[in-house]
Amino acid sequence: MKRVVISGVGAVSAMGNNVPSLVRGIEDGRSAVHYMEGWNQYTGLRSLVGAPAELINEKTIPRKNRRSMGRMSIFAVQAAEQALSDSGIEPEELTSGRVGCIIGSTMGSAKSLNETFEIMLPQKDLTQLSSMKFFQCVSHTAAMNVSQYLGITGCVLATSAACASALQAVSTGYDLIRLGKQDAVLCGGAEELHPTVTGSFDVLFATSSSYNDKPHKTPRPFDRDRDGLVCGEGSGILVIEEYERALKRNAKIYAEITGYHTCGSGVHVSRPDKKSIASCLRQALASANVSSNEVDYINAHATATIQGDKEEASAIKEVLGDLTPVSSLKGYIGHTLGASGALELIVSLAMMEKGIIYPTLNLDNISSDCQGINHVIEPVAKNISIMVKNCFAFGGINSVLVCKKL
Amino acid sequence: MKQEITEKKIIAMTNQVFEESFEIETERLQPKMNIFEDLGLDSLDIVDLIVAIQQKFDVKIRNDERVRDIRTLEDVYRFIIILKKEVALSETKREQQKV
Repeated sequence: MKRVVISGVGAVSAMGNNVPSLVRGIEDGRSAVHYMEGWNQYTGLRSLVGAPAELINEKTIPRKNRRSMGRMSIFAVQAAEQALSDSGIEPEELTSGRVGCIIGSTMGSAKSLNETFEIMLPQKDLTQLSSMKFFQCVSHTAAMNVSQYLGITGCVLATSAACASALQAVSTGYDLIRLGKQDAVLCGGAEELHPTVTGSFDVLFATSSSYNDKPHKTPRPFDRDRDGLVCGEGSGILVIEEYERALKRNAKIYAEITGYHTCGSGVHVSRPDKKSIASCLRQALASANVSSNEVDYINAHATATIQGDKEEASAIKEVLGDLTPVSSLKGYIGHTLGASGALELIVSLAMMEKGIIYPTLNLDNISSDCQGINHVIEPVAKNISIMVKNCFAFGGINSVLVCKKL
Repeated sequence: MKQEITEKKIIAMTNQVFEESFEIETERLQPKMNIFEDLGLDSLDIVDLIVAIQQKFDVKIRNDERVRDIRTLEDVYRFIIILKKEVALSETKREQQKV
C-alpha cells in the first residue's frame, strides 16, 4: 500500500474566504454566528441564527463555468483553487487522469432547489425553468463543477452522507491513492446556508433556538446550556497525494493520513449511538496502527445537540480515556454539515503545525453528561503528533480519520 | 386593446436579455453577430434564451420550430417582431369576434 499525505488546503467559511482568515478567526476566539435577517418570516422556524460565508469575486469564474454553479459550488471552486495553488500541483497535471476530485455535500444547492420549486410549483409549469437548475441542484454539483472548471480527468466522485460527507471524501481519496489508482486527489466538502436547511433540523428540534438574541453564545458544544446546532456554510478542500510524489516535488506536507474508518450504526436514523461511534473510533485507530494513548488531540464532531454531544463524549471516554485533549470548532463557524469534516480538519492541521489546541467556544460549564474527557476550554500549547477527526451524520453514519505529523 | 410594442423597444429589450442573461457587453450586440460563433452561446444557453424571451415579452415559444432557424442577433429581433405581430393580430381578431 502506498502512503498518503496532505499537501494543500483551501477554505471558504464564515470567517473569510481563505485558510488564514479561518485560522485567525478561531485563534482570536471569534464567533461568526449571526442573527439571520428575514428568517422570521418562516412560520415554525425556531432557530434564527446561522454562520453565513460571503460570496465574493465569483465573476472571476467565466460565465460558461459559473452558470452551472449554485452558491456551494462557487465556494468549492474557490477553495479548490486555493488548495491547488497551495499544493504547487501544476494545472496541466490535472488532465493526466491521475488526479481525482471527490467532494461531498448533504445535497445540491439549497437556494437553487428552492428557486426551482418556486418557479415550477405554483402553476405546475416547467416552461420557465432554466437549463442550469439541474446542474446546480444535483448531489454531485460541487464535484462536477470543480472538476469541469479545473479540467480534472481522473476519478470524480461525490460522497453524500450529510455531516460525514467531507471526511468520507478524504477517506475515499486516501483509498484511491493507497491502491495506486490515483496519484493525487482534491477532496473535501461544500454546503450552503438556507432557511430550509436549518428548517430541516429545526423540525427535529435539533437546532439552537434560545440564543436568537445573542447569537455569539451559540452553538455551545458539550456545555450544560447547549440547545442544538447552528448551521453554517462554506467549503474546505484538501489536496492529498502519494507520499513519494510529494517528496519528489518538495511539496509542503501538512500531515500523513494513516487510517480511517466509516460505518453505520444500524440502530436509528437520527439518534446518535455511543456503541457504534466507539466502534468506529477503535477501528480507525486500529487501521492507523495507533493505540489510544498515542493520540494527542481529538477534533470532535460535537454540534451542541443534547444527544449527539453526550454520546460522542461517552464514546471518546470509553476508547481514549480522560487524558486526550478534545475540542469542537462548531462554536466558531457553526455546523457546516457536508463541509465540516474538511474545514475542521484544515484547522486541526493548523493546530498541528502551530503546536496549539484551540478550545471549544462557548463551553462555559461542562455538562454533567459530557464529563470524563479532557475538554480544552482555553488555548493549550501542545505538540500534536497524532490527531483524530470525528464526523457523525444523520442516518447513523460515523466517520473517523487519523493523521500523523511527519 | 394592448398598446403595440415598437420594433425599437423590442431590439432594446432583446439586447437587455443578452446583457443580463449572458453577460455580453452592449457594444458587442450588433445585429449581424452570430449568437453561437460571435457571442459564444451554446445549446444550453438557447434553453435559457427561450425562457428569458418568454418572460421578457410574455410569449410562449418553447415549442416554436422557428427558434431552430435563429443564427444571428438580427434573427432574434425579427423572430420576436413577427411573434408580437402574430399575438397582436390574434388579439384583434378575438376582440372583433366579441363585437
